[in-house]
Amino acid sequence: MLIVKNLLRRKVRSFLSLMGIAIGVAAIVAFNAIGQGFKRGLDQYFNESGAQLLVVNKTVQDPAFSRVQKEEYDFVGALPGVAHVSITTFSLASPRGLKAQSFGMPAMPVYGRTPGDRMLDKFKGRVRGRVLEKDDEIMLGSITAENLKLEPGDTMQFFNRTFTVVGVHDSGVSFERIGAIVTNSVIQKQLGMGDASSVVFIYLKPGADWKDIKRAVEAQHPHLAAIRSDEFTVFYNQLDYIDWFVWIISLVSVMVGGLGILNTMLMSVSERTREIGTLRAVGWSRRRVLGLVLSEGTAISFAGGLVGLLAGWTGAEILIRWAPRDFLSTRYSPELFGVALLVAVALGFIGALYPAWQASRLSPIEALKYE
Amino acid sequence: MNDAAVRTLALAKHYEGGQIRALNGVTIDVPRGEVLCIMGPSGSGKSSFLHCVGALDVPTAGDVWLNGRSLAGERNLDAVRAREVGFIFQLHNLLPTLTSVENVEIPMMALGRGRANRRRRAEELLDLVGLGHRKHSIATKLSGGERQRVAIARALANEPALILADEPTGDVDSKTGEQIMETLLAVRKRTGATLILVTHNPRVAWDADRVMEMKDGQLRPLGTGADVRRSG
Repeated sequence: MLIVKNLLRRKVRSFLSLMGIAIGVAAIVAFNAIGQGFKRGLDQYFNESGAQLLVVNKTVQDPAFSRVQKEEYDFVGALPGVAHVSITTFSLASPRGLKAQSFGMPAMPVYGRTPGDRMLDKFKGRVRGRVLEKDDEIMLGSITAENLKLEPGDTMQFFNRTFTVVGVHDSGVSFERIGAIVTNSVIQKQLGMGDASSVVFIYLKPGADWKDIKRAVEAQHPHLAAIRSDEFTVFYNQLDYIDWFVWIISLVSVMVGGLGILNTMLMSVSERTREIGTLRAVGWSRRRVLGLVLSEGTAISFAGGLVGLLAGWTGAEILIRWAPRDFLSTRYSPELFGVALLVAVALGFIGALYPAWQASRLSPIEALKYE
Repeated sequence: MNDAAVRTLALAKHYEGGQIRALNGVTIDVPRGEVLCIMGPSGSGKSSFLHCVGALDVPTAGDVWLNGRSLAGERNLDAVRAREVGFIFQLHNLLPTLTSVENVEIPMMALGRGRANRRRRAEELLDLVGLGHRKHSIATKLSGGERQRVAIARALANEPALILADEPTGDVDSKTGEQIMETLLAVRKRTGATLILVTHNPRVAWDADRVMEMKDGQLRPLGTGADVRRSG
C-alpha cells in the first residue's frame, strides 16, 4: 500500500528512474542475445560440417591464423578410427562493388574447400548452379551474390585473378551466406601457406572414441589441439572477450540506472522527512522504515527490469533486422533474462541502501520538527 | 513501582550542552484514566515533557514510568510507542497520499497486525470519531477538523493506555477546536485511557480533571478544569 503510493506520488521521477534501470537491463539483454547469437553462428558453422572433431594450431590466437601442416593432417588421417579428414582454409576479400555487410565493412570471408570433398556435400540441394570443381571457380553465399548482383555464369575479380560464379548457395550459417567459397589451393597460394590447412575437420568411423583420437593427436603434436566441433566456442576462450565486452557495457548502463535510483530515493526520503518522523513516532522501528525505503527502490528496479527485458528483446530483434543484413542473430535463454532481472533488482536494492539507512537513522523528534 | 499510568521522577531535559534547560526536575504522578492538561507559553518545556513521557525522546536525567515500567531500562522504545502510547500532533501529521482508513492502519503495521484485522479496526475507529463516511478519502481532501479526528482515530489504533496530545486544537478555528475536544474526550471516556494534553488555550483545559502550568521547566498545579473555567 505505502510502497506503491509513495512511488506514484512523483510519477515522472519514478518513471524516469524506472527507465534508467530499464535501459540498462535492455542493454544487457540485447547485447548478450546478439553476442550469444554470434557464438551460435560459429557453433552452427562447425556443427553443420558433420565432423566430430576439429584440429587447430593452438599456439595462435585466432583459428583463422591456425596452420596445420600436411604431414600433421596426414598423420591424423592415418589414425585408426578416423574415416576422413577435410582440410579448410580461410581469408578475407574486398571485391570491387561489394557494399558494406559484415560488421559494416565492405569485406567478405572467403572459405577454402577441396573440390569433391564431403565439406561441400551440405550445399547440394541448397545451391543454384553447382558446387565448385576447380580453381578459378567460386560459389557465393546468397547475401554476397545479392550484394554484388551476381548470378551463376557471371565473373568477378579479386586476389588478382578472375573467378567464374558457378553457384549461389543458401547456407543455414550466416557466416557463409555473407561469404564465398573457393578451392583451398587458391587461398593457400594467396596466403603463401604451402599445403597447410587452417582448421582440419575430422570425421570418425562409427564406434570410434573421439578421446582416443584427441590423445593421439595432442601427444604426437603438442602444438595442436583436437576439440569437439560442438565445443569450439568453449575452447576458444578469446570469444569470452565478447561476453566481457558485452557485460562491461551493459553493467555501465545499468549502474547509471542504479545511480538514478539512489538519487530518486535520496530526494524521496528528504521530502518525506516529516512523514518518516510520524512513522517512527507511532512505533515504526528503524528496521521497518529501512525496509520501506528498500522496498520502494527494489520495486522501481523490478518494474524497470521487466520493462527492460521487453525493451531489450524488442531492441535486439530490430537491430538484427536493420543493421548488417541477416548477419547477426540472437539467442535468448532463461538464464539471460533471470540474470538481467537479478542485476536490476540488486542495483535497485543497493541504490536504495544509503537513502534507507539515512531514513532509518532519522530521530523522530528532529524529523517531526522538519519543515 | 507504582500503579500510576505515568510517573516522572526528577525529569530533566537539557539542550545545547545544558545551556537550555527545557525540563528542570519534573516529578509527577498521573493516575490511570485522568485527563491532565498542561498549559504554558511557547518554549516553556511542555512539548519536551510530552516527548520524554511518550518515549519519543530520552531525558537528560531522571526517569519516566509508564504503567509501572521504567523507560530508562527499556531498550525498545519503538515498541513502547507502538503499544502503550497514542500521539496526536498539532499538525495532525497524516500521510498525505493515504486515505483516512490507511492512515489509521499505520500504527497497527508497527505491531505486525494482519491486513483484514487492521482494516476492520481502522473502520471501527473512524466510525467512533464520526468519520465513517470519509474512510476512503485521501488525507489531503479532508478539512482541518476531519484530519485531526483521523489523527485521534490513529492514536487509538493499538488501544494504548496513554494518549498524548500536543496542541490538538492549535491549527483549527475555535468552533472546530471545540468539536475536536468533544471527540477526544468522548473517545477517552469510552476507552478509559489516560489523556495528557498540552495547550496554551485555557478553553481546552476546562474539561480536564487536573490542570498544571509548565514554567521554567517545572510543573505547578492550577487546580481542576472547572477551577480554570471559573478563574476565567
